[in-house]
Order: sequence, then C-alpha cells, then structure tokens
Amino acid sequence: MIRLACATVAVLWLGSQTLGVVPAQAQSPALPDWGGIWAMQGNTVFDRATVQPPTGRAGEPGVREFPPYNDEWEAKYRRNIELVKQGRFPDPVSTCGTLHGFPRIMNVPDVYEFAVTPNATYIIAENGPNVLRVYTDGRKHPAADELWPTYNGASVGRWEGDTLVFTTISLKGSKDEDVIVDRTGLVLSDASRATTRMRKIDEKTIEAQITIEDPKALKAPWSVTKRYVRQAPGTWAWDYACAENNRNPISGTGRTLTLGPDGKPLDKVVD
Amino acid sequence: MTALRISTVAVLLGTALLATAPVDAHHSAAMFDDTKVVELTGTVKELQWANPHIWLQVIVDDKGKKTEWSIEGGSPNSLSRQGWRATTFKAGDVVTVRFNPMKDGSPGGNFVGAKFMSDGRTIGRWQ
Repeated sequence: MIRLACATVAVLWLGSQTLGVVPAQAQSPALPDWGGIWAMQGNTVFDRATVQPPTGRAGEPGVREFPPYNDEWEAKYRRNIELVKQGRFPDPVSTCGTLHGFPRIMNVPDVYEFAVTPNATYIIAENGPNVLRVYTDGRKHPAADELWPTYNGASVGRWEGDTLVFTTISLKGSKDEDVIVDRTGLVLSDASRATTRMRKIDEKTIEAQITIEDPKALKAPWSVTKRYVRQAPGTWAWDYACAENNRNPISGTGRTLTLGPDGKPLDKVVD
Repeated sequence: MTALRISTVAVLLGTALLATAPVDAHHSAAMFDDTKVVELTGTVKELQWANPHIWLQVIVDDKGKKTEWSIEGGSPNSLSRQGWRATTFKAGDVVTVRFNPMKDGSPGGNFVGAKFMSDGRTIGRWQ
C-alpha cells in the first residue's frame, strides 16, 4: 500500500512537471510593472472634473470644486475660500514639519514612484516627501483600539488582476487644522475613509480612482480620478528636504511670509 | 546696472506670459501678484539651490541706489529635470529677470523667466 501511494505521488509530481503545473501554494500572482518615474497629470486641484473656473488653480482666489458636502461642511469650505481670497489660508506643509496626508498625497507636484512588491505597494511622492504604505499581504486593518488618527491613515489592499484595490482608514483629516486636500480650501473630517482602485491604463499612464466616504462632511461618496504620466527613461527623483531653505513661514494670522536672505521678512505687514 | 523700472510696458508683458501656468509651490502664493509680470536688470549675487524652492538673489542698481531682490523659483528637483543646474546662474552674471512681484511692493517676486545679457540665452518663460 505504501509503495502504491509513493508511486502515485511520484506520477502526479512528474505529471505536474511535464504539464508545467506548480502547486497552488507556490504560485505568485504576476504583479504589474509600475517601475519608472511618474508625474501627476495636471495641476494640484484635487477634483479637476468639477473645478470652477475650469482653468482655475488651487490657491487662486475664487477657485472651487464641488464635493458633495453637507451644509455644515459646505459652509466651512466657503469660509476657507474666503480666507484664500484674503491670503490667510496657509498651506499646512509650509511649515515643512508635517505630511500632506491622504488623499492629498495622491495630488502633489514633482514626481512619484510606485514600488510594487508581493506584500505591499509603496506610493512614494518626491514632494514632501511622502510615502503611502499599502499592505497586500492579506492582513486586515488594525482593530479600533490599535488605531489613532494619522496623516496617511492605514491602508490595506488586494490585487484584482492588474488593479490594486485598497481601503484607507484612520485619517486625522482637518481636526487639528494641519491637513487639507488642496489649496482651494478643501478639507475632510476625521471620519473620512477611501477606497482606491489603481491600475496602469496604458504603458504611459497609471490611473487612481479614489472614492471617499465621510459621514461627517459628505452627503454621498465622492469619486475623484487622478492620473500619473510616465516620465522619460532615466529620469531621477531626488531628496526633498523641505526645511533645508524654507523662506516662507506662516504668521500667527495665517499669512504666508517671504523671508529675505537675512532671514527677516520682506513683507511690509507682518501679523 | 540700470533697472528697468516696474512700468506699464512691463506689466502689459504679463498678459501674454500669464497664459502659462506658474510653478507649484509648497506654500500659498497669495503674496505674489500673478496678474503682473515685471522686469528688472541686475547682477546675480547668488543662486540658492536648495529645497523647497530656489532663490535668485539679484542686486539692482537704480541710479546709485542698490537693492537686493529675492526671486523665488520652483524646487531644484523639478527645475533640474527641466534643464536647470545649480550653476545656471553664477555670481556676477548680468541678467534681466521677469517675475510676478510681491503685492506690497517689497523687493521680491515669483520667477517667470530670465535673459543673460552676455549672450542672450534665456531660461524659464520668455517670449
């Protein structure tokens, strides 16, 4: 009996080799090649599908998008838009001390790298710098008592064919007024979470479809598409040490100052 | 050097140049007047080639009164990918520089473009 069993196993093994069949546990799904250097398409308006005016840029007075805010957060957005007009809506990252945070990490200038590995994908933004870690090793999000609100939150995902699908939770949002979504004045709450679907739609383009839910701020899910364009082969990404020579601190009233080479404000009004 | 004073001609220049998007910054650009482009000629004191933004320091001599202007540009990272180098501007270079001025008239601005007076080379947006 033992001899027969061994022979059966041997035949099955030989058969699998002949047919090129690998035992299931040894299979590694083919991961897409997202190598190279990429840059976000367009300017840093987060939801370019709804921005008004259509050519508006984040930070220009009067430019806005139309997320499905509830009344309270629409009013908050309008207050921020008014502060932009007054030059008193500072960008929190001007301090060079905090992260852009998610989802803004998907919406920054300079270049990106997307490092795909079997157990995690790392979205690396040169600007900041910022790193979003997306674990794909089968883990679940941490239990509630193991989480605290952070800039980029906690992301876990899976591969659906060539598409990375991940969910991001535990975001601090704007509760400490040090995270924005863009400089039009967009903000989200600490109840926000998102599901992102990323895939390479052609050899030169990676697309991220981000659907945000925020029971405190939004009446409905808010979907935004960002695209990243492959840069020329051999392109470099570099250090971005924001504090190296930051000559644009923020005043106590939210005004962004401009320092001269002696470190003193050039601005005539400093308040 | 003689400064080309902020003038109507220089301001009108901006109308065409503004069709091109400005450089992304890590901070609000509310201090700059992006409806205007002004032009000054002076001598480069130094190029501060560091993140988050490069700064071009230019000494402008206006009838004997010397003023140091601070012109802010993009990150060295992005500019290097556009062909800039840390040595693009050298101390002593005589340049005409165009920029969005600070709204309050302080001697600073947001870089638009520059022309080297020695050989006519231009960099940035220059039409």
